[in-house]
Amino acid sequence: MEVRDIDSIHLIGLVFSLTILASVFLMVRERMLKEKYSLVWFVIGFFTLVMSIFKDLMDWFANLIGVYYAPSAFFAILIACAYFLLLNMSVSISGLKTYNKILTQELGLTKLRLEEVEKKIKSREL
Amino acid sequence: MQKDIDECCYIEKEKILIVIPAFNEQHNILKVIGDVRDSLPNADILVINDCSVDSTSVQARMAKGVKVIDLPCNLGIGGAVQTGFKYANSMGYQYMVQIDGDGQHIPQEVEKLANTMGRSGCDMVIGSRFLDIQSYRPTWGRRMGIKVFYHLFRMLIHAKITDSTSGFRIYNRKSIEVLSKYYSNDYPEPDAIIALKKNGLCICEVGVKMREREHGSSSITLIKSPYYMAKVILSILLSCTRTRW
Repeated sequence: MEVRDIDSIHLIGLVFSLTILASVFLMVRERMLKEKYSLVWFVIGFFTLVMSIFKDLMDWFANLIGVYYAPSAFFAILIACAYFLLLNMSVSISGLKTYNKILTQELGLTKLRLEEVEKKIKSREL
Repeated sequence: MQKDIDECCYIEKEKILIVIPAFNEQHNILKVIGDVRDSLPNADILVINDCSVDSTSVQARMAKGVKVIDLPCNLGIGGAVQTGFKYANSMGYQYMVQIDGDGQHIPQEVEKLANTMGRSGCDMVIGSRFLDIQSYRPTWGRRMGIKVFYHLFRMLIHAKITDSTSGFRIYNRKSIEVLSKYYSNDYPEPDAIIALKKNGLCICEVGVKMREREHGSSSITLIKSPYYMAKVILSILLSCTRTRW
């Protein structure tokens, strides 16, 4: 009974990680996702894939870092990955905000110059 | 030397830009522009409409000779004023004064700022509400906040600044150049003091009168003010540790 439970969760893990890897691969190919951001997703996908294929690996690793309950080590690593990913996103958003501000300001300044040029042309035509 | 001799004409002679950031100020904007015109007839006026949803832009355009920049997205006060710095920088203005679109700043007081700048040789002069305390009675909470900022600035940059959040300031060419590159978004005034100090520029203050607002309400409400304080203090502390500007 217990053996089958472990097997099914491993199967789910396998399908899950393969799905992640395949969708990230496809999204990068279709240019929906930038290569830069795909890297961390590939790492997460490979990590879960390896962990679901070699189930002893998790026990070995948990033992190594002194965690008694192996799945906890797995969660800890995933949470760390998520933190890293979120930080990465915050940095990206800050960068986007800065670019957005610069573009908005330049657009405003350019619109004013355009208006002035248009006015000059109009007064010349008259 | 010339500047010191006839201080009264000092602002008229140089190229000065008045920047009026405005967000939903349709009731105030024309009056503010009129006031500026009355007291500074030779200054150029630039209104920066920070994506208002009312008729601020239309109203401002009704005043003749006023330049209006309509920002396509709402950037907040810092982003709007920085647009003014960029304009002043690219058009070669020697001086820039910020006058808020809500009518709080009194254009007649610009002369005081300019004279102080001419006399002291400082690169930025802040119009302070608290050096001349009779004109302005801030609430208890605000006074507390001001005190905290005063001591913070004294500790961090050894400058005695009584009104670090005042936006009523005159900038010269040097500070325009610095601030057109670095001007923060949400709480730019205290941050700008540090940016200028770190760039080796000189800052001083002069007491000015300010009005209570006629329409609308302040952006800093009672509930938001501790949040504002925390954000500004954090931003000041982080700015101080910054080595690359």
